[in-house]
Amino acid sequence: MLSQTHKVVQALLFSAEEPLTVEQVERCLEETVDLGRIITEINNYFAEEELPIWIQKVAKGYRLMTREEYEPWIRRLYQNQGNVKLSKSALETLSIVAYKQPITRSEIDAIRGVSSYLKSLLEKNLIEIKGRQEGPGRPLLYGTSSHFLEYFGLDSLQDLPKLKEIEEIMNVEIEEEGGGDDNNGNTAE
Amino acid sequence: MSYNIKIEVFEGPLDLLLFFIKRDEINIYDIPIAYITREYLEYLDVMKSMNLHLAGEFIYMASLLMRIKVQMLLPREQAEDSEIIEDPRTELIQMLLEYQKYKEASVIFHDLEERQKKYFPVRSSSDNISWDPDLFLADVHLVDLGIAFKNLLDSMPKPRYYEIKTYKININQQAQILRTMFTGRKRIKFSTVAAILKNRFEVVVTFLAILEMVKSEEIRVSQTSIFGEIYLSKLQLKESNVIADA
Repeated sequence: MLSQTHKVVQALLFSAEEPLTVEQVERCLEETVDLGRIITEINNYFAEEELPIWIQKVAKGYRLMTREEYEPWIRRLYQNQGNVKLSKSALETLSIVAYKQPITRSEIDAIRGVSSYLKSLLEKNLIEIKGRQEGPGRPLLYGTSSHFLEYFGLDSLQDLPKLKEIEEIMNVEIEEEGGGDDNNGNTAE
Repeated sequence: MSYNIKIEVFEGPLDLLLFFIKRDEINIYDIPIAYITREYLEYLDVMKSMNLHLAGEFIYMASLLMRIKVQMLLPREQAEDSEIIEDPRTELIQMLLEYQKYKEASVIFHDLEERQKKYFPVRSSSDNISWDPDLFLADVHLVDLGIAFKNLLDSMPKPRYYEIKTYKININQQAQILRTMFTGRKRIKFSTVAAILKNRFEVVVTFLAILEMVKSEEIRVSQTSIFGEIYLSKLQLKESNVIADA
């Protein structure tokens, strides 16, 4: 059985618009709580009862989400709206911003070897302007937003896979057979 | 001869080079520059033949590849104090490795996106939360609204209108008026002329008319003392209508 506190936290999760933070919960409960433990217990309860929801830790808070097996029905509810995925170039630009922030446009372009469109990422609120770089022209510096974390289901930037790990994966591929496997969408033809 | 070429969507020249490297299982640290330059230029030709727009970045990379190719052919100087020979490909390899790192990372982001799209947040909208308007606007009166509205109006940029007038007078016309003033007189005062002029523009045009008439020796301008009255006197002319022809 869940305690009164567990039920209050659930109620807060149901009514919150943004990911619910520890600070918010403690302000509402007027006491300090081990929110991580409470969330785990509620999640266990949801699983035992086979409820169609679960709590995700995202953007330094907690958010009530539907379970993935219900996706097809919800898609029909929204008539497949919002199923637009980011383009290859948008994802490339975004990953450079994510790992190298704060970064200027020209630094992004130098890595990609082409000029990048930042406008759509700004409009989607995935990146934001963090300030200006000191120096000639004082160019704008870009970084990822908190919506970025929500969009990719990350709790914080520390949850990003380490670039070192990516390099190691790349090196293994090169050593094995020059990276011959074809999981990258490039058809070897 | 028919080619069956599948055109990939490449994000840029680095993406294209990585495609060749992967396809032909090339060691990225030992790129056969001559071979890859040939492949690269062939691809550009295909793009050109299909009338695809070639971005400047692709051309730039072509020149970079050819520069490296040339440098590979030239005998390289070995610095005396170091045993390492600078490889002309180093810069390109660094660019490719750096780009590849983020290209791989972008695949991870794609997977994360796919995963997250399966979950839908249990939504709550603040529209459902009703605010008590009386509580929300505790000490606000109608006057405050009026003041706020006036301040808003005052802060609006004021439109400025400029009127452009067209004056339908010209030098010939003013010269003609001067001539009529001379009828029955040999000499007229400038102040008499100035008295009939209505605005600055007429003054300017009339002054120019006087200058023209002086130039064509139709009239003469004289003054007895400084700041004194200016007289316009008519001269006997061979042809009196020079101004009209001017």
